[in-house]
Amino acid sequence: MSNSGRWHAYTAVVAAVCVMVGVYWDISWHMSIGRDTFWTPAHLLIQAGGLIAGGASGYVALHTTFRGTPAERASSVNFWGFRAPLGAWISIWGCGAMLTSAPFDNWWHNAYGLDVKIVSPPHVVLAIGIFSIALGALLLVLAKQNRATDRDRKQLAWLLALIGGLILMNLAVFLTEYSERPWLHSALFYEITALVFPFALTTLARAIKLRWAATACAAFFTGMMLALMWIIQLFPATPKLGPIYQPVTHMIALSFPLLIIVPAIGIDIVLQRFDGRVDSPLLAIAVGVVFVALFLAAEWPFATFLVTSPIARGAFFNAANFVYYESPSHTAAAHHFVRAAPGALPLSVSLLIAAGIASATSLVGLLRGEWMRKVRR
Amino acid sequence: MFAAALWLLASAHVGSPDVVFDGAAGPYPVRVIVRPPDVVPGLADVIVRAVEPGVEHVTIRPVFWRVGVAGAPAGDEMSRVAGQQDVYTGRLWLMAFGSYSVYVTVSGAKGTGTAIVPVAALATGRLPLSRGLTIILIVLGSLLVAGLITIVYAASGESLVAPGEPFDARRRRRARLVTTISAPILALLLFGGSKWWNAEDNAYRRNMYGAPAAEPTVAVDATHRTLSVTVRDTANFRTLTAPLIPDHGKMVHLFLIATNGSNNFAHLHPVEHDSGAALIFTGEVPALPAGRYRLFGDLTLENGLSLTVTNTVDLPAPPSVVARTDSDDAWTMTSAVPIAAAGAVSQLGDGYTLVWNDSIPLTSRDAVELAFTVRDSAGKVATLEPYLGMVAHAAVVRSDGSVFIHLHPMGTVTSVAQQVFRARDLGDTTAHGRLGPSALAASNAASASMPAMSMSGAISFPYEFPKPGRYRIWVQVRPATRVLTGTFDVDVH
Repeated sequence: MSNSGRWHAYTAVVAAVCVMVGVYWDISWHMSIGRDTFWTPAHLLIQAGGLIAGGASGYVALHTTFRGTPAERASSVNFWGFRAPLGAWISIWGCGAMLTSAPFDNWWHNAYGLDVKIVSPPHVVLAIGIFSIALGALLLVLAKQNRATDRDRKQLAWLLALIGGLILMNLAVFLTEYSERPWLHSALFYEITALVFPFALTTLARAIKLRWAATACAAFFTGMMLALMWIIQLFPATPKLGPIYQPVTHMIALSFPLLIIVPAIGIDIVLQRFDGRVDSPLLAIAVGVVFVALFLAAEWPFATFLVTSPIARGAFFNAANFVYYESPSHTAAAHHFVRAAPGALPLSVSLLIAAGIASATSLVGLLRGEWMRKVRR
Repeated sequence: MFAAALWLLASAHVGSPDVVFDGAAGPYPVRVIVRPPDVVPGLADVIVRAVEPGVEHVTIRPVFWRVGVAGAPAGDEMSRVAGQQDVYTGRLWLMAFGSYSVYVTVSGAKGTGTAIVPVAALATGRLPLSRGLTIILIVLGSLLVAGLITIVYAASGESLVAPGEPFDARRRRRARLVTTISAPILALLLFGGSKWWNAEDNAYRRNMYGAPAAEPTVAVDATHRTLSVTVRDTANFRTLTAPLIPDHGKMVHLFLIATNGSNNFAHLHPVEHDSGAALIFTGEVPALPAGRYRLFGDLTLENGLSLTVTNTVDLPAPPSVVARTDSDDAWTMTSAVPIAAAGAVSQLGDGYTLVWNDSIPLTSRDAVELAFTVRDSAGKVATLEPYLGMVAHAAVVRSDGSVFIHLHPMGTVTSVAQQVFRARDLGDTTAHGRLGPSALAASNAASASMPAMSMSGAISFPYEFPKPGRYRIWVQVRPATRVLTGTFDVDVH
């Protein structure tokens, strides 16, 4: 890998880390302190990450277009007459999406009130921007991995697994509202996770040239989520907004990460045995079924522990991470699972549907991973 | 910029959302103005004038009715306005829908004291996209869409070509095909996004405050003309979630104001009937002539929320004998309404006059002091008797009926709402946040230490007119035994 390419790849990864740590910090800020301005350190970290990624890629684009060596120009793509690697364009686009979301989000707060929801249209624009920052970093490193010789390739593949962990983190954080503890035994939770994670895991598993690629990505995801969860709780905080229903004395962290790592191991094993030997649709069905089965086997009993056991309510498992504005009735309900609505499909049927969703998204993921394997620029 | 573009559709009071309070924070006299946000969660602007020398700090806290001070964040220090010795400003986030109070704490040489200023946190406005922002979003959005299509083309074409190899015609065709297929998918996603936006907008509108409906009926026989007003929630947002609480000893203060420009006006207190789902108020109408009247009803709930309901009612001709009404009911039918000017005089009857003291012109969105003097037939300043627990009451109505407010010398707030918050802070609430049976008595005892009310005939009402226009102001006082009403018209710029 050339030195110039190396700094760009590492800068993109650092930027993606900044953004995701900033997002985690920001959500924790909203859960604990509440009061929000554009200038909170968490916001600044997110914006800085976006600007670093966009700025570095912008520089690379200008450099490659006007001063690039023949080798640099040969490993770039055309974009409106400018030249840069595909990942750089995706990073720049992501930076643009993040910048676009800022005035939109500001108007949204003025029009509909300061949001306490994660999933709102301007936040989706922001999340897509953030996702693109991570995806841009992924593709920058991926193109190099795909061109690299053996020694470089291993190093690049581990860097990719780190970015894969950031992408899983982005998805998991965005799904926070659908993965609250009382919902971890509900059909909807397994359907939504089936929509998102098999797609990401199969893409990463196929694209990253590691034998345990999905597992490595999930391990980075789990490690970062746990580290942030344990560290952020060490910082004191008091709510600056009211009504305050919960006694908050330190930063409240997001819940214990989902046990994605268990089905990730299963996906790696399935791909090691069958990838290249059976057609992608058949492989996708196997991956989908394995994902739902293993995720269910791991998350279901762990959720029982988190929801019902007093042991889980300490800082380590963080199962009493109540937002300052959660009412006491909510707290009481938090230690019980949400019951299925009357007339809902039996759970077994819903799980079959989840397996079907997981198979479909796995197929898309496998095909996208196949494309990623071929990216050279 | 955005706030200026906001359409005001509603407020807990009719067209007059800003709260003005004149009173005391312990030993310090204060004037507090709170401009609540149009959306919730949103920022309220707070302005405090503390004229007493020796004031060192002024802090404000947002206190939600359900949790009281125990669930309020620590106070925020207000900042002194540059060049103004005694004016402080600050902003507070109101996060939940419903009844809040801003606790204004003043500390200084004389110690520390707190004033409670009840405020309603309700979604009352809807913000349209400004032209400038629309253009910015369209330009940025178009760039993003165009950029994304270019990225898809590059991702499915040139990026797959190993360095040094040509991006040949076959690969270009393939890239064009993928791009062509993905364009409608992208369009579909954008369409879905706009649908989602609309759905969020509709959900917001459903949560907007709409005053409960007030449906009047009038029954006439030989000796009675009985008005019944049924009040019930009709908007999706439920307002009447707590029981009513008497304000100045009355469950409702009902104002009837003729729409024909005449000065027929009444301040009545119909009785509430236990009626299950809706609130029903019934009372006799005094000797007002037949015609169409605007009806405004002021209610206060046990959670401290004060609100006004409104409608019009057609009164038939009165019967030959008019039945007695509530002893605190008062009305006027004088024909001449003076235009407000310094020294202008309105006849109160019984030999008393009401003199307008304030300077003219008045400007909207500006704190003004509506100052009057009640004089007896000898021209001396009269001493007043309390009327409904206050030295004076005023009703302010814009000529088109779009603004109505019931004022006291303490401003737009009701003292019972303050008592509600005081009672909650004493812990006199049930598990569900309702007031305990003895709550208000205890809170009244706590407030008995407040400075005694002046009963001088020199009276004033602090207020901010929300918009320009012609307003009519009725002032009600009790200089002897009878409640008398004076009236002025005033142009606000």
